[in-house]
Amino acid sequence: MEKTVRILNEEGFHARPAGVFVKKASEFKATIEVRSNGISKNGKSIMALMSLGLAKDAEITIVATGADENAAVEALTALVANKFQI
Amino acid sequence: MSLLSKLFSKSAADSVAVFAPLSGRILPITEVPDDVFAGKMLGDGFAIEPTEGRVLAPFDCEVVQVFRTGHAIGLRGPGGLELLIHIGIDTVKMAGEGFSPKVSEGQKLKKGDLVLEFDLALVKSKAKSIITPVVITNMYAVKSLELVGSGAVRSGDPALNVSSNH
Repeated sequence: MEKTVRILNEEGFHARPAGVFVKKASEFKATIEVRSNGISKNGKSIMALMSLGLAKDAEITIVATGADENAAVEALTALVANKFQI
Repeated sequence: MSLLSKLFSKSAADSVAVFAPLSGRILPITEVPDDVFAGKMLGDGFAIEPTEGRVLAPFDCEVVQVFRTGHAIGLRGPGGLELLIHIGIDTVKMAGEGFSPKVSEGQKLKKGDLVLEFDLALVKSKAKSIITPVVITNMYAVKSLELVGSGAVRSGDPALNVSSNH
């Protein structure tokens, strides 16, 4: 299961959003990857996600693999769409 | 923790010493005026209220990430420990003004090497706080940690001892 979303918050995918994203991603058993511009990073690693250096308006594809992959992709895309507000 | 159990836990895990990357006043992470850091959402660690605008490598490490806006640096140290040094609070909004990273991604550093310089007065005037969190972002690799610095520190002084799971 995968879905592509756009980063909407002004500051991009920096430390705070990465922390919020990883906390949510870690609630799921599925393996989670975040892809952007052909680079794929572990969606459960704060440093890996920050290393993508994603700015506002960047598109990311959230890829989940595992039993709860559908729920994981839905929850994480909703989080990005909501500007990482929990 | 008793001395005996401390000895046992140290023999069971590798210990990594994290030194103060900045001179200033060392604080528990819970005193950072930002709920994401104080609530340890990014990980555990400590903070420094800096008295000068120079960040030095807190251990032998590799540069994992230099933020586009220069306000934060990600390092990978002994035992794969990942450390984020985030200068001030809400400094991403300064969009790079006043920050001069001196390293690039993939670069290998020795403890004490210059990592980044910043305009302390400018950050003080523009940011929500100058308090700088130093956070371990891969806490799954950490068995326990202990803040060993207190009060005023110079960069290079002992700050945190980390027992890793390796």
